[in-house]
Amino acid sequence: MLTINYMPSTSHWIVPPIIMGILVILLFVMSIQRFIKTKKENQPFIQLKNKRFFEENWDKLKLFGTLVLFILYIFAMDVLGFLIASIVFIFLFNVLFAGVMQLEEIPKAFKEKTYFKNEGFCSVCISLLIAIIFSVGIWFLFGEVFSITLP
Amino acid sequence: MIEFGLLQLIMAVLGVGVGIIFGALPGMTATMAIAIFLPLTYAYDLNTSLFLLLGLYVGGISGGLIPAILLNIPGTPSSITTGFDGFPMAKRGEAEKALKIGITASLIGGMFSLAALCLFTPPLAKLAIQFSAVEKFLIILFALTVIAALSKGNMTRGIFAGFLGVLVSLIGAFADNNHLRMVPDFLKVELRSGFQLLPVLIGLFALTQIFQEAETGMKVSKATYDLNNNDKSKRFSIKDFKGQGINLIRSSAIGTFMGILPGVGGSAASLLSYSQAKNFSKEPEKLGTGAVEGLVASESANNGLTGGALIPLLSLGIPGDSTTAVLVGAFMLQGIQVGPLFITNNRGTWYTILFALAICNIIMFITMFYPIKHIAKVIKLPKNRIYPVIILMCVVGAYAIRNGNMFDVWTLLLFGVIGYIFSKINIPSAPFLIGFILGRDLEKYFVDSIKGSGGSLACFFTRPIGWGIWALIIASILFAVFDNRKARRQQA
Repeated sequence: MLTINYMPSTSHWIVPPIIMGILVILLFVMSIQRFIKTKKENQPFIQLKNKRFFEENWDKLKLFGTLVLFILYIFAMDVLGFLIASIVFIFLFNVLFAGVMQLEEIPKAFKEKTYFKNEGFCSVCISLLIAIIFSVGIWFLFGEVFSITLP
Repeated sequence: MIEFGLLQLIMAVLGVGVGIIFGALPGMTATMAIAIFLPLTYAYDLNTSLFLLLGLYVGGISGGLIPAILLNIPGTPSSITTGFDGFPMAKRGEAEKALKIGITASLIGGMFSLAALCLFTPPLAKLAIQFSAVEKFLIILFALTVIAALSKGNMTRGIFAGFLGVLVSLIGAFADNNHLRMVPDFLKVELRSGFQLLPVLIGLFALTQIFQEAETGMKVSKATYDLNNNDKSKRFSIKDFKGQGINLIRSSAIGTFMGILPGVGGSAASLLSYSQAKNFSKEPEKLGTGAVEGLVASESANNGLTGGALIPLLSLGIPGDSTTAVLVGAFMLQGIQVGPLFITNNRGTWYTILFALAICNIIMFITMFYPIKHIAKVIKLPKNRIYPVIILMCVVGAYAIRNGNMFDVWTLLLFGVIGYIFSKINIPSAPFLIGFILGRDLEKYFVDSIKGSGGSLACFFTRPIGWGIWALIIASILFAVFDNRKARRQQA
């Protein structure tokens, strides 16, 4: 029967190599499975031609915008503090998710003095309201009432 | 023994209410709801928090039936078969009746699973107390093989995800000798205790979903449905359940059993009970055309899951599904270890769980059954306005876990991106999370076992209880291989 040489000083490296070994075996098994499948279907093993990572007509602006805004939000919390950074970035997330086209309507609403009759203007106002109400609400509830550490 | 007052009632109502909203909005799940509401529990003791968390769980599972019936879009994966018969009923003007049948079946399924939880957890925990490190290791290994067995047609990927989760959980210092492994030099301080569970699970289950929705443009669906009906014959009556007794018990039992198996989602419970209802039906051809039978099977099974998934968690420390995996986070936050000694050491909490689950099911029934016409409007909530608030909650939850550590917010983002990539390459996130939760214990019990045997691996094959668990492991692998082949043949 197999034995493992147990030494306290190196015991932290007993299990990780075993798990890595299992993962390599599983990757090998998956490759074999794919090889058999592609051979049966008479297709190449690596097929990049019709492969798409993103959905059809994927929204580049919203996906990468979300990622970039999130990264900037983390940095901003260090610089501006939780409350101000949250109001700014939750507003920006709202504008991004509801459609940045609404921003184009703002100058028009001011020029024509239509304000709340203008859909884009209303949408931006809702974004701002949500950002302020929820940021202040969560800051107050968690930070002040429950004394939970906030950035 | 059970502390229940106005605060706990408010928590339960809040939990069920928010859970229903999350369940009713496609893309949002009970897991997501619990993950982002965990920070709210920092301020309360575990017993009070349980009313909120179990409320979110029950509400989140139950809310999924609303869009499934009204729009034929399952709100949660567990209501996948609800629309098969619910939507045709809604189309012929029986929407309210279908919703009320679903809600009643949900209550019965929930209560059935509660009884199972009450009956099976203490004896299972008693048996598990006799386990040595060897059996504990084997039980975790069994949990990982069951994940593979039930990743239908996707066995290797399921088990790969589970072991990858184990590997990621090992990053950081090993408790026995305090030595670091797999940690880059510049992250020695931040990763000393590894990645924290809460940011990992919020990232995997909340942020990933937001990235997926952002990719598809976060479109707001213009939901239209009709819940007004003056025809008395098309209204709900308790007579609609006539002849459904066996179906109710069978489906609730299937849901509960599927909940006990680690890594199995509600969708599997719902699909299995639906197919069984069809197999046993006197008129199988009617299922899928608006039959009460199909609706009852789906809804009683997915709520049966709730109590079932808590059984392995509270007796063995192994989460039954991704939602109960999140509950592990809640117990950890309060410094409570779930496992064989949980009931013995935390009798008050154990009774609170049973009571809270019962109360939450009743609140779910009351809040959904009578005002269903108004509750159904939640499916019209614009998700693009909710997601920014969820991002805010995610950040607060991740940051506060270690009393303010920005590295945990980066962890949240990292695992949000990893979860998104997983979804693209068909690696399931639930087995990864379960592997991540169990990884450290798996290592501890393995090392303890070989320490006790002087390094010999024979220790894993010498004890009778161990043989029993080996038999289960082999059976689950064989089942996995045959089931996988069958699924592939069906796909072909």
